[in-house]
Parts: sequence; C-alpha cells; structure tokens
Amino acid sequence: MPKIPVRFTLNEAEVGLFVEPQSNLLEALRRGAGDLSPKYGCGQGTCGACTVLIDGEPHLSCLTLAEAAEGRRIETTAGLAQGSSLHALQTAFIEGFAAQCGYCTPGMLMAAKALLDRNPRPSREEVIDAISGNLCRCTGYEPIVDAILAATEGRAA
Amino acid sequence: MIEIERLDDVARAPAPGPDVRVLAGGTLVMRALNYGGHGIGRILRLTDPALREIHSEGGGVRIGAAATMADVLAAPDLAALHPAAQVVGGPAIRNMATVGGNLFAPHPYGDFAMALLAANAQVHWADGRAEPIEAMLGARGRSAGIVAAVTVPRLQHSEFRFRKVSRTKPKGVSLMSIAAHLPRAGGRLGDVRIGFGAMGDRPLRATGAEQALSGRSLDPAAIDAACAACLDGLAPADDPLASEWYRRQVAPIHLRRLLEEVR
Amino acid sequence: MTLHSGRGFACINYPIGMNLGGDPAQALVHSTPDGKFMVTLSAIDLGQGMKSVTRQIAAEALGVPIDDVYVDTADSDTGPHDMGSFASRGTHRVGNAVIRAASEARAHMMEAAAEELEVSPADLDTDGAGNIHVKGAPTRRITVAETAIAAQFKQGRTLSGRGIFLIEPSGVDPDTGEMSPVTCFAHAALIIDLTVDDETGEVEVTKINSAYEVGRALNSRLVEQQLIGGAWMGVSHALYETTEPYYPDRREGPLDFNAYLMPGPGEIVPHDIAILERPAPDAPFGGKGPGEMCANPVLPAIANAVYNAVGVRIDALPITPEKILRGILAQGGARPQGQRG
Ligand SMILES: Cc1cc2nc3c(=O)[nH]c(=O)nc-3n(C[C@H](O)[C@H](O)[C@H](O)COP(=O)(O)OP(=O)(O)OC[C@H]3O[C@@H](n4cnc5c(N)ncnc54)[C@H](O)[C@@H]3O)c2cc1C
Repeated sequence: MPKIPVRFTLNEAEVGLFVEPQSNLLEALRRGAGDLSPKYGCGQGTCGACTVLIDGEPHLSCLTLAEAAEGRRIETTAGLAQGSSLHALQTAFIEGFAAQCGYCTPGMLMAAKALLDRNPRPSREEVIDAISGNLCRCTGYEPIVDAILAATEGRAA
Repeated sequence: MIEIERLDDVARAPAPGPDVRVLAGGTLVMRALNYGGHGIGRILRLTDPALREIHSEGGGVRIGAAATMADVLAAPDLAALHPAAQVVGGPAIRNMATVGGNLFAPHPYGDFAMALLAANAQVHWADGRAEPIEAMLGARGRSAGIVAAVTVPRLQHSEFRFRKVSRTKPKGVSLMSIAAHLPRAGGRLGDVRIGFGAMGDRPLRATGAEQALSGRSLDPAAIDAACAACLDGLAPADDPLASEWYRRQVAPIHLRRLLEEVR
Repeated sequence: MTLHSGRGFACINYPIGMNLGGDPAQALVHSTPDGKFMVTLSAIDLGQGMKSVTRQIAAEALGVPIDDVYVDTADSDTGPHDMGSFASRGTHRVGNAVIRAASEARAHMMEAAAEELEVSPADLDTDGAGNIHVKGAPTRRITVAETAIAAQFKQGRTLSGRGIFLIEPSGVDPDTGEMSPVTCFAHAALIIDLTVDDETGEVEVTKINSAYEVGRALNSRLVEQQLIGGAWMGVSHALYETTEPYYPDRREGPLDFNAYLMPGPGEIVPHDIAILERPAPDAPFGGKGPGEMCANPVLPAIANAVYNAVGVRIDALPITPEKILRGILAQGGARPQGQRG
C-alpha cells in the first residue's frame, strides 16, 4: 500500500511525513519525526506511556491513526523545556523523586501538563484523575501526585 | 482509507463489516490494527463534524455518534449521564472514546451504552432507520451499518442513578455497572428501567428488578423485592476480574446500595 | 453492610545478595584527561538508583566532587562482569567493588600528585572539592584536573583502578548442614491497617506503618522512594496482580492492563516510614540497601490483617474479594478477631 503524506505541528515546528496506512501516531512520532520522548508501552491504550497532547488535550498516540494527525497541534515531552530551562513539572518531578525507571514519566508529564494548562490550581483528586490512565510500576504514584501539586505551587496564583 | 466527510457520503460508502471497519475514536479499532489488523481491510473514518454535535431535539437530546465522552461531559443537557461518561477510562480515553463506539464495545466495556439502555435511548442509523437501543444491542454483531446518533429523553438528574463497580479507581474497567431510571410521580415510581453492564455479553436490563419497583414506592419492601429479582434478565460470566459466581453474589448488594442512595 | 477493620503485622530478615558462586561484582574506574572519573559497571540501574548510589560511593572513595564522577552501566560488552540486579545486592556488592576500584585509582592519583608536589603520597589528602593538598598545609596543593593532566601527558601514568567483591564461599558442615548462606541481612517490621466489606469482600488498605533497618541510608531520598514504591508493589501483589485468576485452571488470563490489575493513583495508601540506621561492617560505608524487602512484608501483613478483620485465612495470592467473600460465607459470617492494646 502506498504511504500517506501527513503534516502537523510538533512542539511548534512544522513536520511533514509519509506514514504507513493504518499505522499509529506513536510510530510516526518516534520513527518518522525522530521524537523518542513518547514511549511504546502496550500498544493497547492501557498504560498511558505514549500520551501526547493533541490540540492541548491528552490523547494516546498508540491509538491515534497517524493520518488523523493532519493539521493538528501535537505536544510531547521533548518540547516541554524552553532551551535549558526545564518546565515546572520537570523540575518538580526531579526534586520530588517522582521517577525511578522513568518509562512512564513522559506520559505522566503530558497528562499533568494538560491538567495544569486548563486548571492551574487542581485539587489532589483532580490530579489523581488526570494521571489515572497512566501506569507507573515503580513509585506507588504518591511522589508523582505530590510533584504535580508542587509544580502548581511554584506558579503565580 | 475512506473518510466520511459528510453524512450524505455514507450512502456511497461500502457497508461496514469484518473487512471494512468504522473507525470512530479508535480506542478499540486501533488496538486491533496495532496487533495485526485481524483482517481489517479498509477503514471508514467519520470526520463529518455534524456527527460530533450534541443538541436538544424535541423532548430529548441528540448525541452525534462521534461525540466523545469529553464532549458529553461538556454538555450541561446531559448532566444525568455525566457519571457514566466520567468513568470511561482515564482522561485521554475520554477525549477519544465515542458514544457510537461504546455501543459496539464488547464486554466488559460499554458503560455508557448501558446508561443509555437504562435511559431508553433511540439509535439512529445513517440510512435513516431508528430503533430502541435495546433492539440495537440485541442485534449487535449481526447488523451492519453506521450509527449516526442516539437520542435520549431529557432525564431528571435526581431520577437517574449510575454506579460502577471496579477494582481500581478512578480508572478501572467494570466488574459491573448499574444505571437506574427511577421516574417518580405522586410518591410512587413510574416505569423503572435498570441496566447492568458487564453482566452479560452486552448491556442488559434487570427486568425482574424493574417489575418489582415499577408503580411502587421506593420503600424497604420494594427494595428487598427488587434485589431478590435482580438477576432476572442478566447473564454474567467469568472474566479476569471476577467469576460468574461472584458477580451473581454481589449484584443484588450493589443494586441495593444504589437504590438506598436514592431514597 | 459492615466494614470491619483489621490490623496485620509482619517482619522480615532479608539476605543481601546470595552466596552461590560468591556473587561477585566488578567495577573499573579511570580518569579522563581533565580529571573527571568514569566508573564502568555492567550492573544495571533499572530505576532503583544504582547509578546515583555508586556515583556517591565512588566520589567518596576517590575524594573528589560528585559532579566529577560519571557512572556507565549495563553494557556487559564494555563493562566488567557483574551477576546482575537482584537479591537486593546492588548497593552492597557493587558498592564494595566500586570502593576497591576507586581506592586503587585514588592511590594512583595521590602518587601522581605527590610527584608534582615533590612530597610523599602519604603526606597528601583530598579536600573533596577538587584539590589535593599537603596535610596541614592547605596552600601547598594541586587540583585533581592538573594531576590528571600531568599523569597523562607528563608522567605516563593512568589514574585507574579495578575492583572486585567476592563473598568467601561457605562450606556446609556435613554433620549439621550448617553454613552461612549470606553475610549481611537487612530487617524490617510492618503494620497494615485495612477494612473489609463483609458483603462484597472488598478490601481497602488504609494505612501502612513500617520500620526499615537498612544499614546506613546512603541516599535517604532514594531509600524512601524505594520503600514507598515497594510497599505499593506489595499491596499490588497481595490484593490484585495475577496472570491466572482461576489458578490452577488457566482460563481467563488477563490480556491487557485493564484486566491485569494493579492499584492506581486512587488507591494510594498513607505510609509512615521509620528508617533505622545501623551501619553494617562489611557494607559500603555501612549501606545495605532496601531492595526487595520493601515489598515482601506487605503480603503477609495484609493476609494477617484480613484474618484479623473477618476471621478468614487466605493462603493463596492474590487475596481477591471473591476469596474473602467465599470464606466469610463458608464460616457463616464475618468473625472479627478483635484487637488488643
Ligand atoms: C485503557 C482503556 C480503558 C477503557 N475503559 C473503558 C471503560 O471504563 N468503559 C467503557 O465502556 N469502555 C472502556 N474502554 C473501551 C472503549 O474505549 C470505549 O468503549 C469507547 O467508547 C469505544 O469507542 P471508540 O470511538 O474508541 O471506538 P472505535 O475503536 O472507533 O470503534 C469500536 C467499534 O465500534 C464500531 N463503531 C464505532 N463507531 C461506529 C458508528 N458510528 N457506527 C457503526 N459502528 C461504529 C467500530 O467499527 C468498532 O467495531 C476502554 C478502552 C481502553 C483502551
């Protein structure tokens, strides 16, 4: 089957790719665009490691048809830091020891970013809901929830 | 791939079937494709924005088949159904999972379809046919076509209750889910509809419990009778989350808790 | 419905590493020309903090700033042999090998510095900030970077070290069977509080209190992180995870993480931890490492707490609502065991 051209914005850069028909966005990002920050965990949508933002909202890139990204605005963890200054969430994750093996971290960060962009002062319950589609095998979640809440405290009210 | 950009295109599209698959949110179809496709030859993508609209229509609300759980949660008219939409997966799934897809989602999925069953929704096919959701669910797998929308009667939030039993919260698939429409007039219940999810191969009505409650007042005796008849109409099976035995054992208990919450 | 509360206790003596084949670990340390140090291991950091703790250990043993130490792990082609990341052995075994390798590299570094300063190596010390100076005369000094440059380009000397840690094999006494399988134990005690719903068998773990004796906590934040995450995994194994829900019948195995259950962020259990430090004599700077024992005691403590709550003794994992409910029905209702004290 012929490959299909797709164009989208990836972390504010214009990207044009050829993708396999019926392939997913995660593959397009990792293999096509060379952005290795979203992770392949299960390919079933059940782990959340591939979470990216599409037009500001969290989506599972492994369950998104690559062609459906045409014209959309995609954000990944690779675009979180501005130059050498880390995003407040990244700093909070480091300071809060919120990662061990790190495989879930990019998905967690994007799920958390979507929440904070919409709701800068979330409650603990809202944070828990925001990351409820993301599995972590190491931390027991508490350090992650604490880090996300800590990131909100660093922000101006 | 075929894109259905306007609802009229549906007429020209090949009929969905094992070879041609409708892709809505893709949360189930993409998973199948990622794992080898299982014979999916072509994909029909629903991109017509009209399919995503939610608006009032007559005495009820029309929900486009491609509306997502997040769209439902953003619609104040659908407040009674928010508890059901809220528990479909985590936030990313809710941004993707559609109402139409939920109608076709196999066990243990279909929490929203189950709530629609209790709400007595109508399913509107793209070719103009309409049928009660119970008939649509009953013929699922044997009928082909594209669902364009569902319509639900306007529900009083206080008369509609939803409960999902899952091992993990806030995200977890159903061990069972229950929705009850308990309309009341003059201290008595009207025509009660109770749906159960994950208690059969599709969302099912607990007809025995419905009969035990309809026309009665919601008192302890009626609740006892409803719980005693709770399993009539249900057909639970074993799955990784729980056995048939366990489901039968706790279904009346969860129904009781849902009903006692209402009183 | 009644929610019955229960409390369960468990304690553990956890052997650090194993004795089979002496459980060896190796490390190599060498300096770069600008006075940084590279620690080469084939031990694996899979999130437990191996890189961080071996980096600390190497910096301490070399006497240089931690920023100047790099750790390269997990390549068995380029790194020296290591048995692996298991049996809670990382800090203890690999840490000891790193101390030996770093000490040898330090000795070479001191000899090179002594040659430059024209003193005896025994008269020199490091300040941990990147300088080597004459004891008692801090101004007579040379930087580690200058030392490395001199060693490399003038003296023709490498600042490097090799380290291996091997447990002396312990023979079995033919009469008594007695042997010493391990040289070092870590210890913990843990209390679980939970509730059991006597109509559904559902369990909610409400509190964990624990005390862990880990030798010296070489990095207290990493130790705490291990203990929090490990307790989560213990709860998960105790109550949720299984590939064979109807074991020994193989039906209905879960095919994804919707059906293979693990507690999520909605099931976080408050956990109070006391870390007790009792530096172990044969451990690197006394640190034994929490490792696997952070998950293990949770399982028996939960089984005990369920028994305490409703009188049902479950001896097959995971302890599902169904098993508890069957137990409650079989004994004609919940039989709380009561709590003393
Ligand atoms: C991690 C995870 C958690 C989940 N949790 C839940 C949950 O808690 N509750 C729950 O109910 N579900 C859950 N699901 C299942 C699924 O996401 C939902 O059921 C969802 O609503 C399916 O919709 P979709 O648009 O993604 O379907 P798709 O994958 O696009 O389609 C599913 C099926 O429906 C057919 N279809 C879709 N739209 C139409 C249409 N308009 N006309 C005709 N046929 C159509 C497709 O051809 C396909 O056969 C979960 C899935 C995942 C991956």
